[in-house]
Amino acid sequence: MKKTVLMGVLGAAMALMICGSAFAEDTTEVPAEGVTYEADVNGDGKIVVGYISKNFTDPFHAPINARAQEYFDQAVKDGVIDEWTGLLDGETDANKQIDRAADCISKQCDIVIFLPAEAEASDPALVQMADAGILVIEVNSKSASCDEKAIAYVGSDDVEAGNMLAQWVVDNCPDGGKFIHCNGILGNSAQIQRTEGMHEIMDQHPEFEMVGDFDTKWDGNLAADAASDSMSKYGDELVAIICDNDGMSSAAQKMCNDNGREDIICIGVDGVEVPLQMVQDGSMKATILQDGVGQINGAISIVESLVKGEAFDPAPVIPFVLVTQDNVADYIQ
Amino acid sequence: MASSPKTKRAASNQDRIRSLLGQYGIGIVLIIMMIVIAIMEPRFMTPGNIINVATQISINGLLCYGLCLCITTGGIDLTVGAQLALTSCIIGQTMTNMQWPAFLSILAGVGVATLFGFIDGLLIAKFNMFPFVVTLSMQLVIRGLSQVITGGRAVMLTNDWFTGIYSNKLMGIPMPIIIFVVVTIIMYLMLHWTKFGRYIFAVGGNVNAAIASGVSRFWVIVGVYTISGVLAGLASMIYTSKTGSAQSNIGVGYETDAIAAAVLGGTSFAGGIATIPGCVLGIFIIGLIYNGMNMIGVSSYYQSIVKGLIIIGAVMLDMVMNRNKH
Repeated sequence: MKKTVLMGVLGAAMALMICGSAFAEDTTEVPAEGVTYEADVNGDGKIVVGYISKNFTDPFHAPINARAQEYFDQAVKDGVIDEWTGLLDGETDANKQIDRAADCISKQCDIVIFLPAEAEASDPALVQMADAGILVIEVNSKSASCDEKAIAYVGSDDVEAGNMLAQWVVDNCPDGGKFIHCNGILGNSAQIQRTEGMHEIMDQHPEFEMVGDFDTKWDGNLAADAASDSMSKYGDELVAIICDNDGMSSAAQKMCNDNGREDIICIGVDGVEVPLQMVQDGSMKATILQDGVGQINGAISIVESLVKGEAFDPAPVIPFVLVTQDNVADYIQ
Repeated sequence: MASSPKTKRAASNQDRIRSLLGQYGIGIVLIIMMIVIAIMEPRFMTPGNIINVATQISINGLLCYGLCLCITTGGIDLTVGAQLALTSCIIGQTMTNMQWPAFLSILAGVGVATLFGFIDGLLIAKFNMFPFVVTLSMQLVIRGLSQVITGGRAVMLTNDWFTGIYSNKLMGIPMPIIIFVVVTIIMYLMLHWTKFGRYIFAVGGNVNAAIASGVSRFWVIVGVYTISGVLAGLASMIYTSKTGSAQSNIGVGYETDAIAAAVLGGTSFAGGIATIPGCVLGIFIIGLIYNGMNMIGVSSYYQSIVKGLIIIGAVMLDMVMNRNKH
């Protein structure tokens, strides 16, 4: 019985692997139409593109990954490129991203789109790919040696996002008051830069007092707990909750609203589905949209330029957008 | 020399006190923590904040009970964090995108979590696989499934009845507290008053003796992992209602707090030792660590260190107080 089940499980696993590799082979059969591109850095006659995601689980990254999948599947079918690696899962883990980078080198990628999980820890992934001659385009956030090793960076300025978060609070709480800050995972580049941007503005306003700086790890549940703890402690003195992402700000706002404190201003960054819908239905006043799809489209356009041998802008900046009820319809799907 | 009845009574009282301390010494740790936090931040002891803490601990509390049962049988359930994500995604997908009634969506979500708990138990009991390996692997399957269901996207929950599960009150008591209390009573009765509860202790304490006594190890193991699945599903229902959002990246690392609460509450990794009142104390200690640090204003950079040290300190204090038992 045990052996039968074991054989069954192993058989199923093997069948899945074979199916997976069969799909992978389908992509390699698309011919390059005999055209040699400048982007063929290793001179093997094929343009192979790699894609190392930050993760597959974060709602902000889901549309970015989906857009990359859609474009590169089509690009292979259209013969724009010969192969691509498919979406490689970085699992928000620098170690895994370095492994995926080694996979890209083994697969003889010419161009790799890379979304670093960490500024410092993910940097060896960029360095080893660049040293292997791969043209690396970093997207969304920069790793430490991005300016020296990557051929382009497409992203947004997280310090600017932090400025926008704080400015919204300053503009909407003219009398000042107490506020708390909910952090992303400490040490993450977005957490560091958004926090820096927030302080740039808030530190100029002595009428505001930061009474809590919580380690909420991008987690809405922990941000909601921080909101209820702070309401419990400061009562009406609490006027705002600034969050490093809007998964946290939407959960915090829901907690405030459920406690009859719709007056507390909660704001975060990203513009994922739930906060946008809350802005639309009026239960949250605003969120800061990071145009992730715009960022990946910028990277795709650089790949197209490379393939065609055309010049491109190595550092296009995709601006953050303040989304309120006035413009939310333009961004909600 | 024969001891007098007075001496015997005094010795018996001492034994009783020692036994109570042995079982619930961690309660003293809890009281010490509450006093220290209350001195540092007087607003900690307000009724509003106490209700706030009791509401917040409901999610970890339900997960802890499931872990407590599994650990008592000598196993572990590492799937509970992933179960939170899967149940949340099923509830979100069916309620928002497929327009199912809220009750049916909850039933589907909790039902799937229960099924995965049953499968865990089946693999462990039927094939003698290590619980650590089975649940470690299964959490990958469950997390992956939740990603497939939502495509990694967040799904908003707008059903007022559902989102009210966390925020609504019954006779002034928040619903999560009521759910937690009801589950606590059921778990207490089950573990300490039923034949099944005694079988759990028997399997965890000495599996060979239990089997020789006619206890079905298979059904005990399958039973506890299935219950752990049900409880993870219910915890996810509260979580999803609380955040108003279903997504596949939630619950990462939540098993850590649940295990910590169970161990603080006296659940032994050697198996066969646990009490539900002990778990309740452990759950409150973990909840107070978070709430207390937030109330006192401990810097976020130090919170993780403080949390780890408090857990180690609490367990050590408990061991010192119950030196004889240990």
